[in-house]
Amino acid sequence: MGTGTNGELKYEISQNAYIKLVLHSLRHKTAAVNGVLVGRISPNDEGVVEISDSVPLFHSNLPLLPPLEISLIMIEQHYVAQGLSVVGYFHANQRFDDVEVSGVAKNIGDHISRYFPHAPILLLNNKKLEALSQGKDRSPVMQVCILMLRAVRLVAAGTGGSGSLCVRDASKNWRVVGADGGSKLLLKEPSANVVLSDYISSEKWKDVIDFDEHLDDLTKDWLNPGLFN
Amino acid sequence: MVTKTEETELNQLENQVENGGGGVWEYLCLVRKLKVRRSELVLKHGLSILNDPGKRSSLGPDEWTLYEQVAIAAMDCQSLGAAQNCIKVLQKKFPESKRVGKLEALLLEAKGMWEEAEKAYSILLEDNPLDQVIHKRKVAMAKAQGKPSLAIEHLNKYLEVFMADHDAWRELAEIYVSLQMYKQAAFCYEELILSQPTLPLYHLAYAEVLYTIGGQENLIAARKYYASTIDLTGGKSTRALFGICLCGSAIAQLSKGRNKEDKDMAAPELQSLAATALEKEYKQKAPAKLNLLSSALRSLKL
Repeated sequence: MGTGTNGELKYEISQNAYIKLVLHSLRHKTAAVNGVLVGRISPNDEGVVEISDSVPLFHSNLPLLPPLEISLIMIEQHYVAQGLSVVGYFHANQRFDDVEVSGVAKNIGDHISRYFPHAPILLLNNKKLEALSQGKDRSPVMQVCILMLRAVRLVAAGTGGSGSLCVRDASKNWRVVGADGGSKLLLKEPSANVVLSDYISSEKWKDVIDFDEHLDDLTKDWLNPGLFN
Repeated sequence: MVTKTEETELNQLENQVENGGGGVWEYLCLVRKLKVRRSELVLKHGLSILNDPGKRSSLGPDEWTLYEQVAIAAMDCQSLGAAQNCIKVLQKKFPESKRVGKLEALLLEAKGMWEEAEKAYSILLEDNPLDQVIHKRKVAMAKAQGKPSLAIEHLNKYLEVFMADHDAWRELAEIYVSLQMYKQAAFCYEELILSQPTLPLYHLAYAEVLYTIGGQENLIAARKYYASTIDLTGGKSTRALFGICLCGSAIAQLSKGRNKEDKDMAAPELQSLAATALEKEYKQKAPAKLNLLSSALRSLKL
């Protein structure tokens, strides 16, 4: 799969998906937040994953399973009708200078990559977000983390001449992939950061609904229709 | 914790204030009373009162409380200049005050000067070793520096002395959950349920943690606590209703291929009741999502 310039997948995120996630983290400045990326492999280029939408999930107790399971079931059910699926995970850490991929992010990332291999974890880069208003940086305010499979050891076992291979010690690790030369995450619309800055100035984050809020009040819609109208 | 009525009142006042309809002082008082975190608005509107000599003097002695409230809000918004100004005013009015001393230490925290803040708090603690606010600041500092184990250590020590502080137990539980230390979080919720058995929030939180730990025993216990949440909330907890469905599905999965007694634990009637209640809720409040819900529930029954 995949023939990007360096032989690896690239991720192209739509403006709406991108902005929704950043606004969600701004709505809950004092908490860790997460969300899922929705999309598909590009029908025009197998080396590109199109992230066409995103769903903000939670802003409290991220590592608890029940709300996560419900949200993933409903989200998959909704998007499958459009030929889309959950293709990745977004996470914003609670603290400004925390750049680590937390345990819960890894666990959820692992889970999603079982259904969509090459699913990335996107981590909010707070420093870049802060610098947004000052600079003309057109690159996304997120880090991409890819799952690296390493050290797969094959062990032959068996009795009486018939062997069987089993995989042992396949350790998985999520690694932040830097923007060194060939950036992995591309903004589909080059002016996305300009639009994002505008929305931040107008405090648009107040309108973003996540799954947490939906569970507390069913009338709130986690699809956020009309958010960008 | 804030009740639904209090939250509605707060939101109403907030809208009013933001749209220039007055009621700023009532809003600020309510925020103080409910101890909610609305720092941006408190800073904006609090300063508008403080910077107006007429409005300020009409507050009388409450003026100083407002300076304190705005100082803290300013620090939360990283407006350290505004915070410093408020603290200066308070220092002038109340020299040698321990209460102002706490604000000074808080400012050191806001500046990220952790060692100096620690020193300041230690000095304050010498005179008043049982000051709960200062002990909690030590936990907050540990969290802010990304040292969750230290925060846990401080919080546990605090709870040995102040074991009736429910907010502290909740904070500890949430820190444990954030570190995926679910068993320890469960212990905290057990303490909370013991001390306040009629608060559905704790039953729900406990159930969610038990489900996350997993295993048949925990799933069965989780279902019990989801059920008690539904009981205590008169069937209004969407999360608990979903929880019942999830538990039923998970228990059924685990007892596949086991003997009949285990299979009975799946309690399908309970699951159907919860599913029906959910469908009713969605039909009423989110009809556009009803189909989605139904297919989600169907997939849980497999």
